[in-house]
Amino acid sequence: MLADIFTPDLFASAIRMATPLALAAIGGTICERSGIVNIALEGMMLFGAFMGVIGTMYTGSPWLGALIAMLSGMGLALVHAFASITLRTDQVVSGTAINILSLGLTGFLMEVIIGHPGTTDPVARLMPVFSINGPTQGVLGSVWRWVDTIVFSYTPIVYLAIIIAVVGQWALFNTRWGLRLRALGEHPRAADTVGISVIRGRYSAVIVSGALGGLAGANLTLEQVGSFTENMTNGRGFIALAANIFGRWTPAGSYLASLLFGFADALQIKLQLFRDVIRIPSQFFLMLPYVLTVIVLAGVVGRAVAPAAVGKPYEKA
Amino acid sequence: MPELVRVQSSSRLATVLRELAVPLVSVAIAAIIGSVIMLIAGFDPLAAYAAMFKGAFGSGRQIGETMLRSTPLMFTGLAVAYGFRAGLFNIGAEGQLFMGGLSAAWLGIVLAGMPRPFNIILMLVAGAAIGAAWAFVPALLKAKVGAHEVITTMMFTYIGRYIVSWLVTGPLKAEGQIPQTNRLPVESTLPKMHEILPFLTPSRVHLGFVVAVVLAFFIWWVLKYTSLGYESRAVGYNPWASETGGISVSATTIKALCISGALAGLAGVTEVMGVHMRLFDQFSAGFGFTGIAVALLAKNNPIGVIAAAILFGGLSAGGGTMQLEADVPQKVILIIQALIIFLVAAEQIARWIIGRTGRRGAAENAG
Repeated sequence: MLADIFTPDLFASAIRMATPLALAAIGGTICERSGIVNIALEGMMLFGAFMGVIGTMYTGSPWLGALIAMLSGMGLALVHAFASITLRTDQVVSGTAINILSLGLTGFLMEVIIGHPGTTDPVARLMPVFSINGPTQGVLGSVWRWVDTIVFSYTPIVYLAIIIAVVGQWALFNTRWGLRLRALGEHPRAADTVGISVIRGRYSAVIVSGALGGLAGANLTLEQVGSFTENMTNGRGFIALAANIFGRWTPAGSYLASLLFGFADALQIKLQLFRDVIRIPSQFFLMLPYVLTVIVLAGVVGRAVAPAAVGKPYEKA
Repeated sequence: MPELVRVQSSSRLATVLRELAVPLVSVAIAAIIGSVIMLIAGFDPLAAYAAMFKGAFGSGRQIGETMLRSTPLMFTGLAVAYGFRAGLFNIGAEGQLFMGGLSAAWLGIVLAGMPRPFNIILMLVAGAAIGAAWAFVPALLKAKVGAHEVITTMMFTYIGRYIVSWLVTGPLKAEGQIPQTNRLPVESTLPKMHEILPFLTPSRVHLGFVVAVVLAFFIWWVLKYTSLGYESRAVGYNPWASETGGISVSATTIKALCISGALAGLAGVTEVMGVHMRLFDQFSAGFGFTGIAVALLAKNNPIGVIAAAILFGGLSAGGGTMQLEADVPQKVILIIQALIIFLVAAEQIARWIIGRTGRRGAAENAG
């Protein structure tokens, strides 16, 4: 039975499931590195997921849909930035308001545009990037089956997420942009003194995180599911924040932590196929990623150190 | 100018009015933005608000319905407010509510045949206890390793929902096709208000409303006059100073989040005992999350929670009528809720508007 469970598509499915979490988690990393907490990733993802479908519906192109999803996430992020940076509102409260706003807005627009609550009709999806005809026979064939499934079977945003993680990791620690971003979250006063604009830096970080949250939503609707269902993000934004913490506020760490959650998700879906053999109610499998999040937070938080100035509004002296 | 006003009108009423100004203006701005959204979407906002008002306060029965819907919001609003006072954001009131509901649905059957007052008291206490227990692990993690309660209580909400979903489809499922528990015997339910006070119009509102209001005053008293409340507020205001002053921050954090969980648990108990008489997957309309809006609008004042809960209860009761008569999707209420949270939190916006109109008024008087 183990061979039936640990198939190549389990690992591929883990990478696919990890993608929206990773994109949002990296968004959380960039945002928190600048000193702003972004609880609103859940809402940005949900809004992106919805607008991605609507965009695809009207333009006919899932690529444009994904772009619209990103812009929608950025729009919500701008609201969060204005509230938490300019108005110096409590960042967690502002984020919560955006989450509720997104839930209401997607539900409302769904009934206005689609005409009914629930789920939209399917739209055109982003298709896998590669389609390679490899060997099918013998040892070579089975090796190729693994390689093809685990390496070459994904849709564009899945690859994009990996690129963003790698480039983001490099940029955060090796470029002037990264140094400045980290300074904003560790010691904004010092950054300000040496001439870095705290306000502008934080605005751009929040907006980038919104773009990543929107893209995460686009991955859900335009690559994984193909349609939008109300509240379909189902807490992924919060799991992503946990992944960001588990990944120690680094893009690569966020990606790897998301992989863990993605694997838990993929495993629970797979195990449900064996319900008759394992005889555990499906709800316990569904719980897995959430339980894992709590365990991860219980185990690592004490040792992981958040950016020093995160959550604190900055007032120019 | 504001300083001057403060000196001139130091009466108690003026203080209350000043406190009320921001929430009231925030609700007004949210309603205006809501109508702009409705206009853009092609609806008639005046008709929508008129229908909403009629649905919420139009008749004795409608008022009863508003009271009914405000009841769980009072409990969750108190829960979130108590947490906020101690510097904790209990975003997972929904999960604690689910566990409270679960305990009532189970205990109510077990206690069949016992005297009604006994059952009611025991079920309320048990629901509060399990709500507190559901908040305990996040509280412990917050106090000991610093795991953010926003993430952990949220995760416990999902876990709690799946536990309920499993129990109502499996071990606690009643006979029949629908995934729900058995109906509670009458001795395990809360009496309707009109059963106690016969002059009231018959409506669904139950004794839970009175429990919630009394509890709000009790929590107000706890926060203001007990050492427990003092410690909670001190830790919320400045944990470092509290620790230096001899208050254990971690013990207070655990206590406060558990009290918050207990209050949220009661929301679930009264929904099961007073409204549905049983448990099923969808028995809560997101009351735990609306409780956040209630607490913020009330500026975390327990007495304010009563008023804020009635407002949101009215929005919910009126929402159905609005959808029916003005054809506007009920989801617009969520949008208005979010806007209220925003505006109350970012109170500069309301203050700026109050300042402008105040100044204009003063200028007109002078002219």
